[in-house]
Amino acid sequence: MKIAGAGWVTPLGADVEQVWGRLLSGETAPIEPLVNEQNGARYLVRRIPRDALTNLPPHPRLRRASAISRFAAAAGLNALHGTEVDPARTALIFAISNGGVIYTRRFYAEIVSSGAQSASPLLFPETVFNAPASHLAAILGITGASYTVVGDGAVGILALKLAEDLLAARQVEACLVVGVEELDPLVCEAYRRWRLLRDPTRPQSQRGMILSEGAGAVLLRNDSGDMAIETVDPGENFFSRDEIAGKLRRAVARLPSEYEVGIGSANGTFIDQAERAALGTKLTLYSPKLALGDSIGASVLWQVIVAQQALRSEKVPGAEVANARRALVLACGVNQQLGLCTIRSL
Amino acid sequence: MFAKKVPRRKASALAEGMKRVAIVAAGIVSPLGFGLTETLACLRSGRDCVTPVSTFDVSKTRCKTAAQVDDTRLLPRKSSGRRQQRLHRVSHMTIAALDELRQYSPDFVPEIAMVGTTSGGMSFGEQFYRKLNQKSHCAAVWIANYPPQKAIVDALERFGIDAPAQVIANACASGTNAIGHAWLGIRSGQYSRVLAGGYDALSELVFVGFDSLQAATPEKCRPFDAHRSGMVLGEGAALLALEEWESAERRGAEILGEIVGYGISTDNHHLTQPNPDGSGARTAMQAALTSSGREPEDIGYINAHGTATLFNDSSEGKAIGELFNGIPVSSTKSMMGHSLGAAGAIEAIVSLLALKYQFLPPNINFEKLDPELSLNIVANDAREGELKYALSNSFGFGGTNASIVLRAA
Repeated sequence: MKIAGAGWVTPLGADVEQVWGRLLSGETAPIEPLVNEQNGARYLVRRIPRDALTNLPPHPRLRRASAISRFAAAAGLNALHGTEVDPARTALIFAISNGGVIYTRRFYAEIVSSGAQSASPLLFPETVFNAPASHLAAILGITGASYTVVGDGAVGILALKLAEDLLAARQVEACLVVGVEELDPLVCEAYRRWRLLRDPTRPQSQRGMILSEGAGAVLLRNDSGDMAIETVDPGENFFSRDEIAGKLRRAVARLPSEYEVGIGSANGTFIDQAERAALGTKLTLYSPKLALGDSIGASVLWQVIVAQQALRSEKVPGAEVANARRALVLACGVNQQLGLCTIRSL
Repeated sequence: MFAKKVPRRKASALAEGMKRVAIVAAGIVSPLGFGLTETLACLRSGRDCVTPVSTFDVSKTRCKTAAQVDDTRLLPRKSSGRRQQRLHRVSHMTIAALDELRQYSPDFVPEIAMVGTTSGGMSFGEQFYRKLNQKSHCAAVWIANYPPQKAIVDALERFGIDAPAQVIANACASGTNAIGHAWLGIRSGQYSRVLAGGYDALSELVFVGFDSLQAATPEKCRPFDAHRSGMVLGEGAALLALEEWESAERRGAEILGEIVGYGISTDNHHLTQPNPDGSGARTAMQAALTSSGREPEDIGYINAHGTATLFNDSSEGKAIGELFNGIPVSSTKSMMGHSLGAAGAIEAIVSLLALKYQFLPPNINFEKLDPELSLNIVANDAREGELKYALSNSFGFGGTNASIVLRAA
């Protein structure tokens, strides 16, 4: 399947070329503090700049929607820019991890603080995992297949696999695959309790993940595009951290062809070492999470776009990858899922 | 339980190169019972499994009942390992369903699991929030066991199955979407064996959410009734082993039934309400019929989404009435509540049992048909029937609509 369009909303901006240029120049997204009012805990995060969504056209569906739906709409519309798709023959596929957690927390907070009778019927529908997909479907007029796939940081691979299946079965002409996530202190606290976050007093440390938010989207079709997603391997689940490198190695060994550059999911946690152990030290391996933060559900889509840009420019930040034709996108989440895909320039 | 000989014939709708999809095993845990045998008995007797909610405070909600899975049979004994005891109850439901499935087909090894859910282990997330609010110790175990994919990952781990888990969260259509997408993948040759189904457990957040929308009823659940007043929530897990037909035959697997069609549509009318003209539901059902190559009159039973809300039943009832002429319809949610992401998978098994045992599961608590609808409701008592094909509907928030067509083995 070919990449016919791409769009993203990242903490470094929402223009693919511009953000890529900034990444190549070694820029990293600003790190901001975030305080949890429930317990006073502090986290380091990378947020979407306020002006990143100024071009998002108004739509009644977005009036009450949470940030996650706006990020998704902006990235999705960017991916479709300059392309022609028939909404009746286009599938919408979302990859999400934590979902609409801002409204979910607010909705549950009202139940806890004031009782069930105070729960807001306006907030509840926005807590559902597929609310962002529903809003984008309404904006685009998509009336056929719409799927929201949930999982950890590798969920984007499973969403791409779903798109591949739909295109292979000739159910649709195109698939718009969107990965998206929004930030909330509740999610940060969960990862902190899991001892995965960076120490807020040591922002320059390489250890620990910095959570971020945003969206990535690719329009996939069988007939047009100068880049192809060649192989999508949904991998397998890992049941202990010791298994990760071996299972990644096994997935890599199944690939039918070689690759010249790797776009990994290293995020300052146990994943970094496992990916290196799986791939060895010779391959040029770049993880956009180190510059943009870990956007969990959106991260694989960011990686796919980075892979596309790396093949086009024959560079990744900090290294040349001259004559590279194929990139390996490696995705390992922190909650038992891993997978990979390869991108090839045509 | 399923011992009938399988007729060797090709489905008429099969385009060149397309594969047939056999159901070679199934497992279920729901308020109706544990396993296919208990489920069948409950369906035949039309038992109302709705009881007062016992797991969280419902003193301030309108609705105070739900159909619940019996924890005394579900949760591990104290003697079991610490890791087992930490799992969410939705994981235990999914493990029990997979355990039963494996008893029917021990050598079924899926290439991928495709399952539906809406909220996974949400109640662990609730506990995490409450403890955080009280500034007390928050166990990391709740966080690790909360994510929606965890239940199927736990179940796969329990039985040593190395298959990836594709978890679809299309609200109440999730389970049917998962089965339908698995069917599509096998039919087009992408996979040979897929574990498909769905799971969801009752949680306070979701319960209060439906209550806040006034979609949940303080009365009996009466789908399609003139006096229906809303839904009752349920919970459970159901899994089906789907296999490419010839592969199943080659290894001598017992074939319980066949999935022959799947339709999906997106209704953009409103985030939580279907288009009142029934067009979203009708499109999904028509697409399922078309892909199966069957005509409406071939269908012998429709397991409706039938939540008993004013909007769903009106819209779905209109669509069924327009597309099908007098075909028996029931919503088994009247007995076991609405188990959200698990509903499509549970109801696929209900439809499979109806086909296998040639009966029509009842729509209980039924008094008088909504005068706006023209439907042949299987009112209150199960009936005998002659069925070759059944259609099962699932429609959800976000406008996701899914229908599948099943065939008797």
